[in-house]
Amino acid sequence: MIAYLSNLATQVAIFGILAATLNFILGYAGIFSIAHAVFFGLGAYAGAQIALLLVPDVVLACIVAAAIAGGLSLCLALPALRVRGEYFVAASLGLQMVAVTLFAELKPLTGGIGGLVGIPLPTLFGVPVGVLPVALAALALILLATALLARGSFGRTLTAIRDAESAAEALGKNVAAAKTLAVGFACAGAGVAGALYALHTSFVNVESFTMDYSVLMMAMVIIGGTGTLWGPLIGTVLLLSLPAALAFLPFLPATEVGAVQQIIIGLAMTLLMIFRPAGLVGDLSRGQTTA
Amino acid sequence: MSAARGSNEAPLRCEGLARSFGGLQAVAGVSLALPAGQVTALVGPNGAGKTTLFNLITGNLRADAGTAWVRGQPITGLKPWQVARLGVARSFQDLRLFTHMTVRDNVLAATERSAWFWQPGGTAGRKRRLAAAEAALEATGLASLADARAIDLAYAERKFLSLARILAAEAEIWLLDEPASGLDLASRMRFADLLRSATRRGVAICLIEHNLDVVAELSDRIAFLDQGRVIAEGDPQSILRDPALAAIYFGDRHEPASAAAETEA
Repeated sequence: MIAYLSNLATQVAIFGILAATLNFILGYAGIFSIAHAVFFGLGAYAGAQIALLLVPDVVLACIVAAAIAGGLSLCLALPALRVRGEYFVAASLGLQMVAVTLFAELKPLTGGIGGLVGIPLPTLFGVPVGVLPVALAALALILLATALLARGSFGRTLTAIRDAESAAEALGKNVAAAKTLAVGFACAGAGVAGALYALHTSFVNVESFTMDYSVLMMAMVIIGGTGTLWGPLIGTVLLLSLPAALAFLPFLPATEVGAVQQIIIGLAMTLLMIFRPAGLVGDLSRGQTTA
Repeated sequence: MSAARGSNEAPLRCEGLARSFGGLQAVAGVSLALPAGQVTALVGPNGAGKTTLFNLITGNLRADAGTAWVRGQPITGLKPWQVARLGVARSFQDLRLFTHMTVRDNVLAATERSAWFWQPGGTAGRKRRLAAAEAALEATGLASLADARAIDLAYAERKFLSLARILAAEAEIWLLDEPASGLDLASRMRFADLLRSATRRGVAICLIEHNLDVVAELSDRIAFLDQGRVIAEGDPQSILRDPALAAIYFGDRHEPASAAAETEA
């Protein structure tokens, strides 16, 4: 039971990082990326390879993963600079599809469909360490960083760009730089989550980085409340404990848990968008059509 | 005073600016200088190229020909944010407020130019920006609404908020696109006071305005645009009394189609 809860807590911390960073670009900058799992995957492969080839140091794995995911985030920043709204959604969808194919095909880097196995247990400066405390520390750090950035001038810049891009530019804001920075920061954070995930499960393959996961992350953010600090974390806890809670229901056959879970998540999102479009934590008046 | 200065010393100057859309020559070689401490009104029928001229100056549109200078520095080819940083602020006809931000944040955002994670200048810089924002809110009468969201403001307050952003940006050149339209008399007088205190500081203002009473009340000079050209330039009295210009402005010269275009504004 302890192991089970510890695993669940680690998952919550890792997906909490993903939701918080996705919320940063989605909630503040209005960049609707359906490709967040791509950068989660990049970080996971990078972290796994560091552990396999070099040393399973968790901090080193996180730093390398953040650098690679953050660097390759330009693939996402470029379309974000040119197009908005539904056009960007389509572009990020395309990126997600390309990335999954590359993850499955680039055997020397990703192990192909079979993935990377036998990732050694993590250490910290040579001392064996559990992933949970590191993941919780990373989550706390990233929540703190997103809160500071969102409440400061950078958050104002992003929100200004979201609300009226041309007016933000007319006030001297370098929109391209701000968007690139925001996307880079968010994707680097997703990379950290990926490295922690690789070290936690000691096995990674493309299954964990598909569009389903990108949509799951988006659901966590939207259900919790876009543009809020705690919303994405609450959304993460809800969506990750839902299957666990369902598994405890004696009358529900284990094979049906997945389907019931999908129905519950889908219904929850539909109802939320009708009655609380800003999410569970979000500002009630936002998103409604009365304005 | 500034009236004695030649146009070479005007903070903003453009020469031969031109731009066409497909077959339509929207701006056909406009040369104009905005002297410091004066309000220049751009007047002309709809489709004369007034807003397009603004867009060419601010870099929102690329000019087919011509150049613009800010204090002698050519700005043609610069991006809008680069032009803004040289001290050119503009307002939009449709305002483009940061709707989901508070009034104070709208104005603060105008003082924060860096797109980096933080602003330069440390605590002292932050205090200075906050003070500039508060002063702009005070001057526009929005101080008591500082914590309201922009989207919840009434129409006149929204117009003043778009002006507060420009005030807080501390620009020396203001391009205002129909800033007074839809304002009642009292608001218009407050607006006139704001313009006068800005010109006293030496700000060069160019405004697009359709109401000729407002133009007469606010402007020191008028540039009359028609079909992409400045066809007359001078002090308000002589321009407004010119019967030929009045005929163009009120559409006598045109077919009934221009009357329909007039109501679109």
